[in-house]
Amino acid sequence: MKLNLLRLALKNIRSRRTRSWLTILGVLVGVTAVVALLSIGSGVQQAVLQQFEDIGYDIILITSRGGGIGERSVEGGFMPGAAMGGRFGTPGATERSTTSGTSGTFSPENLGSGTTTEESNEEMTFPFGEMGERPAEATLDTELLLTQVPQLLEAGTLGTQIQPVVAGTTSGFLRVSTPSLDFLEAFPSVLGGFAISDGTTFTTTTENQVVVGARSADLLDIHVGDEIEIDDLPFTVVGILASSGQDDAEEDTEESVLSGQGLTQNLGTGGTDLVVSGLTNTDDSLFVLKERADAVFTAGAGTFVTITRVAPGESITETMDAINVAIGLQDASGAPISIQEVADEIQGTLSLIETVLASIAAVALIVGGVGLMNTMYTAVLERTREIGILKSVGARDGQVMTLFLIDSGLMGLIGGILGLTLGSLLSLFGTRLLGPGLGVGSFSPVLGAGLIAGVLVSSFLLGALSGAWPAWRASRLNPVEALAAE
Amino acid sequence: MLAFENVHKTYRMGETQVDALRGVSLGLLPGRFSVIMGPSGSGKSTLMHLAGSLDVPTSGTVVYRGVDLSELTPRARADFRSSDVGFVFQKYNLVANLTAIENVTLPLLLRNVPTKVAQSRASEALAMVGLEDRMMHRPSKLSGGEQQRVAIARALINHPSMLLADEPTGNLDTTTGERILRLLHGFAEGEKLVLVVTHNPEIADLADCLVVLRDGIVEVEQTREVVLR
Repeated sequence: MKLNLLRLALKNIRSRRTRSWLTILGVLVGVTAVVALLSIGSGVQQAVLQQFEDIGYDIILITSRGGGIGERSVEGGFMPGAAMGGRFGTPGATERSTTSGTSGTFSPENLGSGTTTEESNEEMTFPFGEMGERPAEATLDTELLLTQVPQLLEAGTLGTQIQPVVAGTTSGFLRVSTPSLDFLEAFPSVLGGFAISDGTTFTTTTENQVVVGARSADLLDIHVGDEIEIDDLPFTVVGILASSGQDDAEEDTEESVLSGQGLTQNLGTGGTDLVVSGLTNTDDSLFVLKERADAVFTAGAGTFVTITRVAPGESITETMDAINVAIGLQDASGAPISIQEVADEIQGTLSLIETVLASIAAVALIVGGVGLMNTMYTAVLERTREIGILKSVGARDGQVMTLFLIDSGLMGLIGGILGLTLGSLLSLFGTRLLGPGLGVGSFSPVLGAGLIAGVLVSSFLLGALSGAWPAWRASRLNPVEALAAE
Repeated sequence: MLAFENVHKTYRMGETQVDALRGVSLGLLPGRFSVIMGPSGSGKSTLMHLAGSLDVPTSGTVVYRGVDLSELTPRARADFRSSDVGFVFQKYNLVANLTAIENVTLPLLLRNVPTKVAQSRASEALAMVGLEDRMMHRPSKLSGGEQQRVAIARALINHPSMLLADEPTGNLDTTTGERILRLLHGFAEGEKLVLVVTHNPEIADLADCLVVLRDGIVEVEQTREVVLR
């Protein structure tokens, strides 16, 4: 019987094509919004968590600020505008330089003037603070730490600082990461595997060697064997890193790479933001061994993170307590945070955002439902005579109600199927567009069976529920009065 | 037999109370072509609706084959209409978005008859009323006479024991009207109870039983013998 009623309902939807489609459109928009937002949200969560998983949940980070990067004078002609040779330079970069006291060396007027680093010998001020004058806070001795905290399996230190870099005729500020040797041995995965695509990794701690991130090398045209200047010191490029795979995720330009954009904000906090972004994106950085950096850089400081791995079976919480004690014993600064904690925190935030977005999308769905209810109510008014006919040929009240419920449920379901399809397509495009902005690289929307089934069932139910009251009204119509309707 | 016993039907239209039937008592037999006549507002259609269980009396009883229709639940009345009653209306009352054959299959589909069986029976019914070549047409593509024949086919599809027609020729030209009347009259020659409500005095000539209503009261009730006399 339900099958026959289904056929009748389909017939009715087809016969009122325009109105049916407009009604379906209302549901479609709501379902599309819900599907797109939920699948993108889940995709982001999964991508972020995957990054943490790659790093490892047995990792505890100990963040500590070194001497910081304060204002510092540089002698010897750091001239962004001139060094760019007219090839790059943004108003933003200009403002940073000019407002921080650069004495006439870099302005929009002299962009592209062809001034070379050799030609300029003026003093300029870095916007990041004095790197050389403030004494560095004590950093953790990782070897001592391993003896003080026996729950730890291994430990290493990674520093990050912004340094003036000159590569050929190009110059600017770059993020220079300073991993210790033991760090590179123990935690290559933390630096995306630290895979070398060209050249070699560090071969000595006694010479100035630098490994360059893939994007920096590409944008600044750096090759293995080149000599570049970091902090006014000559460094030999011994290796180029393989791309982290986030090339299409971030649209860094030459300017943003050279000015250390994005990193400067993180440096201010010295917190996990820097750690995570610095660890997961190696493309923009230069790498100098910590052992060498400590010896030659004038600042010798920056932001440090000590990374430790907890031995299997050991409690993360207890290990963190022990680390806190060790930090005190070493009279160092810093606080431990586990990757699990960071992941939980981020996941919690993402879940909250996802819930808020889904709630907004649900409003659109409810609006679609109200539209459907309006259509069904109008349909009952328009089809009053038809209802009378159905009753005169023996339709029970329940059958009339079921017919209208199937009618509205079908429109909801059709809207759901189309919305699911459109939402999936939108989420595919959305992930491509949003990936770079969210800093999670390329990721895929998560469209699980649960979401698909949930959307289809709920859109049918939404349709049926929206049509319930009109259907009930239809079923209660007096057949004689219904037949008399015009 | 269909028996009305002191049937009253009162409608309320806002503050106004309309007594459509006021103590109607009469009996109609199967195998007879019964005609109810009377001026507008005399209660003819109300009587037909009560006979077909589309409505229930305010008081009194309507008994068909020993069953008091006024005591039935709404569901049982729907089932009664489905199995025992066929309606033919002046305005045909076909569902506009269904084809002729779909309109005829409607009562069967509501009784859960498989679609193929329903279509086969509907084809036969439409052939019986001479519309075998118009089955796939929608009502808007059919003439008034054709629509009424579709309505008759639909009324007969469940082999009802009672055929109720309300002004079946009201919207038809004379020739078509006569054809429809002959069709209806033919059913009364079986065991069906055929009740026709009409203004048309010519239909009275065909009546085996003539009932004249005025102001909700039976004014005249005559058998064919009396009518002929």
